[in-house]
Amino acid sequence: MAERPNEDLRKLAARIRLNATRMVAIQGFGYLGQALSSAEIFAALFGGGFVRPDRDRFILSPGHYVVCLYAVAAETGRLDRAELTSYGMDGALLEAIGTERTPLVDLVCGSLGQGLSGAIGFAIAAHQAQEDRVTYAFLSDGEMEEGQVWEAAMFASHHRHRMGRLVVVIDANNSQVDGSVTSVTTIEPLAEKWKSFGWRVADLDGHDLVALTKALATTSADNQPLVIIARTEILGRMKSIPATVDGHFIKLDPALERAVTAELEAALA
Amino acid sequence: MREPPYATVLKPYGEALLKLARERKEIICLGADLTRQTETDIFRDNIGDRFINVGMAEANMIGIAGGLARAGHTVFVNTFGVFCTRRCYDQIAMAVAYPNVNVKIVGFMPGLSSPGGPSHQAIEDVSLMRALPNMTVVDPADAIEISQAVTAVADHPGPVYLRLKRGEIPQIFEDDHRFEMKKAQLVAGNGRGEVCIVAAGMMIAAALAAARTLEDNGVSASVINAPVIKPLDAETVVSAAKQSRLVITAENHTVFGGLGSAVAEALAEAGVGVALRRVGIDDVFAESGSREYLFSRYGLSTQNILEQAWRGLAINRPVPVAPVHETAPGAYAPV
Repeated sequence: MAERPNEDLRKLAARIRLNATRMVAIQGFGYLGQALSSAEIFAALFGGGFVRPDRDRFILSPGHYVVCLYAVAAETGRLDRAELTSYGMDGALLEAIGTERTPLVDLVCGSLGQGLSGAIGFAIAAHQAQEDRVTYAFLSDGEMEEGQVWEAAMFASHHRHRMGRLVVVIDANNSQVDGSVTSVTTIEPLAEKWKSFGWRVADLDGHDLVALTKALATTSADNQPLVIIARTEILGRMKSIPATVDGHFIKLDPALERAVTAELEAALA
Repeated sequence: MREPPYATVLKPYGEALLKLARERKEIICLGADLTRQTETDIFRDNIGDRFINVGMAEANMIGIAGGLARAGHTVFVNTFGVFCTRRCYDQIAMAVAYPNVNVKIVGFMPGLSSPGGPSHQAIEDVSLMRALPNMTVVDPADAIEISQAVTAVADHPGPVYLRLKRGEIPQIFEDDHRFEMKKAQLVAGNGRGEVCIVAAGMMIAAALAAARTLEDNGVSASVINAPVIKPLDAETVVSAAKQSRLVITAENHTVFGGLGSAVAEALAEAGVGVALRRVGIDDVFAESGSREYLFSRYGLSTQNILEQAWRGLAINRPVPVAPVHETAPGAYAPV
């Protein structure tokens, strides 16, 4: 029988989705799919004891995923829940795409493909200062189309002894603006690519909390950087959302919002 | 002021950076496969644990620099000017300029000082860097200024683009010359008269030679050295312009968006109606060739400044001929 996930983490993932649904409902459209696909990843990173607040570095490369960060931070006590209600509104603290004003993160990019380079800067600084800090970088699969990601990947493996521990998690949800990643260009075989660039690779079901937490707990005696390719679905296996919905930028009318909310509240019951 | 042909020194930037980094442990040096060419072999050989060769990956290098700076380091990023401006502009905007972090981007081989053709000639780097909020742009004239500019840009909070000639660097100013981040300086003439030449970087030598020739031909001339192109010391420039009949800017750069544009904006906003002529590259990509050939062919010579003075002042006599300096190996003279 398969190992059952920690019940707290499973519920945290559901709450991330629920928070994101309510936030996206304010405008009636937005980056809900990203939260639906990456809810377990954020639950594992921030609820599973991996990203230690005020010690470890967290870099969010795709800035439109910042909704997930807000959603989880409100659950872990790092963000006032009341802030969620003004997400994306004019003048609000919580912008729909991350900026330099964004709280809770060491670096957030909006222009894609740049986060890993910045993460490497933090990892080198941790090594220079002899500090016990892990640098976590969250990336998405679509931004693998940017060449800078591979410049950074090549660098990180070569210079691993000049850097603190570096962990990359990719939300491989096969979604980008113009459609599925596979329809736009071929980025596969991702696991083989990262492996050939000198990384440790965990290629797993990104909705499987057991697999995610096990992979995040692994270390390398040689300080080889770790990449977790989390295979997910842009609609997060939600039964209440028709498969025809554009997951990259979901139009969330009141009827759909009610259906999604009901499904998530049932999961939390 | 020394006289041309000028004696030269090697690696004033590399030496100054090493000296400063020995005092300041937060300094990190990054390069992109041009270590000797950017004078950072000295840094690598002496403080190797704070030197990283990122390889031919400028976008990644800028991103790493941004991360290091956010973590508290002062980062000097070194490569040719073309590669650390036009090649990675979005990265500079997002990872360095917008967060306003301590990254000092050092671009070598400005304008037509490279024989390598348009791929290696940074002719619009100043325009690009000037356009970015938070970015300071510095184009020092000689070895005396470069040595001091390294400390000045490190002390300056926030990003800086430092534009440096590669190879033999002339000593134009006296040893007691003081480089200042906030002030342009009158370095020839009295700031009142017929012509005021505003120049920076490699055009200072030509500006000084042109001013001398103008004086010899009965036309009073001043030279303002403006090594900090952004923010420009508009007060000094406007003050001299108000007391001159003609302002000439001289830059080893396209006339679109660089020093000439900065001076034009300052004069216009101050309501100074003085005539203005811009000496620089006139909206073209150049070609391969020696400095002497390229500066003459693309309008960056002492003679070009003299011609603009004559045209701007509508003088009917023949244009005087710029002096030709015999230079021994290792010496430097303006074209």
